[in-house]
Amino acid sequence: MWSIGGRALFKREVQRFVRRPKNTFMPPAITNVLYFAVFGIVLGGRIDEIAGFPYVLFILPGLIVLGAVSNAFENAAFSIFHGRWNEYIDEPLTSPLSYTEIVAAYVGASALRGLLVGVIIGAVGRIFTPIGIKHAAVLAVTMVIVCVLFAGLGLIGGLYARDFDDLTVMNQFILRPLVFFGAVFYSLDVLPSTWRTVSLLNPMVYMVDTIRYGLLGYSDLTPTVSVGVLLGATVAVLALDIWLVKRGVGLTD
Amino acid sequence: MPPAIETERLVKEYGDLRALDEVSLRVEDGEFFGLLGPNGAGKTTFISILVGLVRLSGGSARVFGHDVVDDYREARDAIGIAPQEFNVDRFFPIEEVLMHKAGYHGITHDEAKERAHEVLKTVGIYEKREQRFDWLSGGMKRRLLLARALVTDPDLLILDEPTAGVDVELRHDLWEIVSDLNANGTTVLLTTHYIEEAERLCDRVAILDHGEVVTVESPEDLMDRGTDTIYVTLEADLDAPPALDGYAIDAWIDAGRLAVQVDDGGAVAPRLLRDLSDGGHEVVDLEIARTSLEDIFVDLTERSGGIS
Repeated sequence: MWSIGGRALFKREVQRFVRRPKNTFMPPAITNVLYFAVFGIVLGGRIDEIAGFPYVLFILPGLIVLGAVSNAFENAAFSIFHGRWNEYIDEPLTSPLSYTEIVAAYVGASALRGLLVGVIIGAVGRIFTPIGIKHAAVLAVTMVIVCVLFAGLGLIGGLYARDFDDLTVMNQFILRPLVFFGAVFYSLDVLPSTWRTVSLLNPMVYMVDTIRYGLLGYSDLTPTVSVGVLLGATVAVLALDIWLVKRGVGLTD
Repeated sequence: MPPAIETERLVKEYGDLRALDEVSLRVEDGEFFGLLGPNGAGKTTFISILVGLVRLSGGSARVFGHDVVDDYREARDAIGIAPQEFNVDRFFPIEEVLMHKAGYHGITHDEAKERAHEVLKTVGIYEKREQRFDWLSGGMKRRLLLARALVTDPDLLILDEPTAGVDVELRHDLWEIVSDLNANGTTVLLTTHYIEEAERLCDRVAILDHGEVVTVESPEDLMDRGTDTIYVTLEADLDAPPALDGYAIDAWIDAGRLAVQVDDGGAVAPRLLRDLSDGGHEVVDLEIARTSLEDIFVDLTERSGGIS
């Protein structure tokens, strides 16, 4: 089980974002109000239904995924890098915490932030469009997996970043393209077959498709396969996280 | 009881630079041990290896018998470290910073709070407990680093230049606190530039230079390695020192006075006076200058090629 030390680090990480809602929860809420206002009210009526769903309803799962994974990634990357930058990451590093506990605390807290942001976006979306949950278990499991996956990736980003610009670059040049080509705003069925195949290399596609299945009951891919792919990727990333922390990459000289 | 610190042929290399070159040291449980050396001697690298902030390149290091690599959790649990640099979490009030650190060491929330209050009182900044680190003065920040090192009640307290840049009052406060801790059984490893600090506090000191141990001795033994200089003012000035065979290491004229370097000034002075009198010189005044620990330190590190 998780030791007192591991729980203490997890708690500190959670407090770090819970105590600053203006920096952590307000921005995604406001951004998504704007998304829903534009795509639901201003443009929504002029865009055809996709797979039988109004456009705003179709993109809602993607926006939830976008917000959740962005926040999970950003939280882990920022927290690790800021700790390195100001060297206070030495506090847990010089403590009797196992490397697995350190990873679990940072990734767990960041994933929790992603999940909370996902719930906030879902609640905001509910104001603009009637949405239910078709497959609650699939939705819950997938949300947890994708938030852990991107928190784990964020930890790697935080370890390798050399300055704050690197964090921005990761978000702008890696995360955002994955999201925009991840079938958030369109169905895979509208793509030519070659691009559809290429899209399957993008983990975001599986995430959005499975969350869409959980919420709307519609998917382009087989949900169990998607969950399997995401779970495999998550386990691999967590193993890499633990290995990097144990090696002291970005943490020790 | 295993030694508090035991290193065997400890090596740290940064590319071509060998920061620690087969350092073998043993610090006994309960000892107050000083690590002296010029900048870049490898002092901070040495202590950083003990707490896991630097990976060793060769050799081994143990803290109370726990290998710092294989049994890193046990080794780190025994150590409280106050580093030279301010590496404190800026997000939280300092009381919580201390509670977090205690928590990482497996101390429950309520006990962590109790200990945080206790150590904040010990270092004299309890009334600042709800402030964040950035709002503290420089001296208070230094006190907080000590409080953080103490909050886990460590068996080995490591202080890396704890009094660098602090005022005299704070320096004496810190000396008193760590002396009391040591008297109550805590092993202390101190790195410092202040020779007076080592002389006053340490049971033994190791002088490190260019990553190598130059010597390990008590401050008293180190002092005994030094020489004395006897300055003699004579009625009539000398152009050159007289022959003082058998006991003078060196002799020269210094600002009109005869200067004689000897091993033990107190023992040699009567013989020197007698020889001068026998030589027809009238002695007006005599002064014996002892070599300071600082002089010995500089001499040792210069001999090993340290200070240029």
